Parts: sequence; structure tokens; C-alpha cells
Amino acid sequence: MRIEEKLYTLRYKKDEQPHLAIIDPNKCLKCAEVNGVPQPCITVCPANVYSWINQKIIVSYENCVECGACRVACPYANIMWKYPRYGLGIALRYG
Amino acid sequence: MKFDVVVVGAGPAGSSAALTAARGGAKVLLLERGPEPGSKNVSGAMIRLEDFSSIYDISSIPIERKVKNVDLILLSDSNRVRINVNVESNLATAGRLKLDKWMAQQAEKAGALLITKTTVLGIERESDGYKVITDRGEIGADRIVLAEGVNALVSIKANIRPDLTPEQTVQAVKEVYSLNKDEVNKRFGFKADDEGASWRILGTDPVPYAGFLYVYKDAIAIGVGVPMKILIKRKVTPYTVLDEVKERLGLNELIKGSSLREYSAKIIPEYGFPSWKGCSGKVYLAGDSLGLVDPLTFNGIGPAVASGTLAGKAALETYECSRYETELMKNREIKRVVNARPLVKELVEEENFKYYVKTINDLLHGWVYSDFSKVKLDTSKLLKHLILGMGVLKS
Repeated sequence: MRIEEKLYTLRYKKDEQPHLAIIDPNKCLKCAEVNGVPQPCITVCPANVYSWINQKIIVSYENCVECGACRVACPYANIMWKYPRYGLGIALRYG
Repeated sequence: MKFDVVVVGAGPAGSSAALTAARGGAKVLLLERGPEPGSKNVSGAMIRLEDFSSIYDISSIPIERKVKNVDLILLSDSNRVRINVNVESNLATAGRLKLDKWMAQQAEKAGALLITKTTVLGIERESDGYKVITDRGEIGADRIVLAEGVNALVSIKANIRPDLTPEQTVQAVKEVYSLNKDEVNKRFGFKADDEGASWRILGTDPVPYAGFLYVYKDAIAIGVGVPMKILIKRKVTPYTVLDEVKERLGLNELIKGSSLREYSAKIIPEYGFPSWKGCSGKVYLAGDSLGLVDPLTFNGIGPAVASGTLAGKAALETYECSRYETELMKNREIKRVVNARPLVKELVEEENFKYYVKTINDLLHGWVYSDFSKVKLDTSKLLKHLILGMGVLKS
């Protein structure tokens, strides 16, 4: 089963304001040089939030399952990582 | 408006803290970022009832099934060993949404005020206490309990503890498949509707991992945790590992005809207190915020309830930090986590983990075939880890 199909099982309430973002794209270029592709944030993410397109990290924050792995994995502390506001984001049934 | 105690996070640690402080007569506010307690929480979900009975009335605790058997499965290459431990009582599977809601309700019944959908962004010291800044405004607090989970952004921002590193973190993914009760009973050979089982899986391929299977009333939960360092080094995604494990163990057959109800993920701290501070001023940390998961027994909820209860007491009686940290170290659950840290640090090393899974496997196969020629004993390794293991057993 593709990861996107797995994510369909989750209830999301989207926060219009992104709770994840790349702080400095140049650091991602550097990371690609040092660590190769896919970079740590792409590898550890269980929800394919990060993708490397045209030498840039694209962040699909809407898919985030709020585990926090990318924040810990980024060698450059280059991910702005917050919680979605007002109870938005995922809501689990089993957990 | 000002509260005696503001608790951040209505998980097992936070609700236990709120319950304890409210029972003692404090005016308590319990803040939860999710739409309801448990809605943002993920765990393997086998609980030990005795972990709750010291502060909760467990006669109403919402459990899924009573665990009658725990299976340990070791997989190395193509070899497999399965050890079955028959359990008398006191272990149960539980869904986190129901369990966490129930705990928060107990805190509410004791007088704590629960407010959900509210994220705490930071805390600031004031002349007469603290200011708790949320995405809905500010609240005054005399004392604070931070039970904000593994991504302890407030604790980190307030410089009470550092962030985790990939070396200190396990990444876990979990899937829950729904299947009707009778079919669950049939596939697992259960004789009663409340009978359950739990599996622990330790495997070495494609990467070292620790997996689990838990049986709910009408669902089966499967998951796997992998050291983050290994995922990064090998460039393997966590869900690829889970798919491989399902394939190798024939789990796809076991869940055949069911449908995936939920996919979730969680990072697990393998480091923390007492290397991290447990407290600063009148701010007390508890649960995953302190890194209190027992990786050897897969128990995170027990240490969370224990540390939350202590944090609630500390906040109620305005403990000095040294007193709070001493009380934490005196607790049996917490002491075990702390004493296991040196051994765990060794065992999450890929080489050591692979060695033990393979050696135990080879030993048991050797015993069956009465041929131990494949068993390679590394005595210096064994001795080193035996000594570290003694430290765990003594706690």
C-alpha cells in the first residue's frame, strides 16, 4: 500500500498557517552535498512530507503526522517545527 | 486569571500530575493541544494495570483485551525463534484515545479544569510566579508541570533540557487493522472475547528493529521502531521496514480481509533524565518530556504515570528541584529506566543488536539440533553487557 493511501486513514483539520517550514534553503543544498540524497528529513519522515525537487526541499505540511522526527534528524536545525494551532492537524482514533 | 498549578499536556504524565495536585486541593488547569486527550498520542498500547492502581481507581479503566500470552520473536537471516510467556494477569491492551480520555476525566472529577485545542507556546518567569503563553492567550501560574511529550518544545525553549539527537531517538510507525471480534478470536485462537495477546519482535533485517503486535477488541495493531541513526545511515524509510517485517512474519496473511483503520508514527526517546534536568525553579518535567521510556520492557506509560504523579505532588507542595529529582530517582519504574541507559546505549548499536539476536537464535537452534558449532561467543562483549544488565536487575 502506498504511503499516501495509508495517510487517507487519518482525520486532518488543516491549519491554514504552515506549522513546518525550511528556514534556509541554502543549508538544504549543503546537506545534499554532505549527506547525499535523500537527505535525513526525507528518509525519516513517515508521511512523505519532504521531497527534493529542483534542488529544493518542498514541504507538504498538510500530510504531517506530528511525530517530530524531521526536527531531530535535520543536521542543520534548519526546520521550523511547531505544533498546529487550536487543536488542528491530525486527530487519532486509536493512537 | 491565575492557577496554583498549570499542567501542559493531558497524556498519562499530565493527567496523573493534574489528578494528584487537584486531589491535594490545588487549583489546577490542564491544557491539551489536541481536540481531546489522547488524540495526538501514539503508543504500543499494552499496559500494566499496577502502573495505574496507585493513583487511579482501575475498576473503570477502559481496556481492550486482557493479555494472556506475550510472545517474543527473534528473527535473524532466515532463522526464527519464538518464545511464549504465559501471563497470569494484570496486562491488558488499550487504545490511547479511550485510555487518555479516561485519565483526564479522573483529573477533572478531582477538580482540575481541562481545556483542549490549546497549544502552549512558552513560559515566562514573573515576579510572583509564571506566565503561560498559549495560542489562545496568557494564563498565570504559580507552579507548572510540563508533560508535553517527546517533542518537548516548551521545555527545550525554556532551556530546561536539550533537544534529542538521532543517536538518542527511535522512530516508530504503527498500523491498526480492523477485523470483527469473532474473526480476531478465530485467527489468534482466543477462547473468550476479552482474551488478548501481545508480541515483541526483534529482528536484524533489512535493518535492526523492534516490532510489536497488539490485539484490540476488533482490531490488530502492528508496528516497528528503528534507531533513527540507522534509518539515516542506510537511507531507509520507517514504513519500508514495517512493510518488510509484515512480509517476513506472514502478518499480511494474519490481517487478510481486514482494512487499515489508522496509520501513525511516534519518536521514542532513548535518553534523558538524570542527564537532563527534571526541573527548573517551580517548573517540573514528567513523562516523555523527561525521556522516561523503558526500552527493555517497551513500557512508557508506566514511567509516565509514576513521574506525573510525583510532578503533581512536587507542584502541590512546591518542592525544591533537588527534592523532586531525588523523589524521581527513588521511584522503582524510573530507576529502572535510568539504570538501563548504559546497557540500552550499547544495545541500540547495530553491531551489538545484530550479535545478540543472531546468537540467541543460534543458541536455541543449536540446542534443538544438538549442534552448537554455529554459535559464536564473544566473551568480552557478553561480560561487559552482563555487568550492565546486572545494574538493571538490581533496580
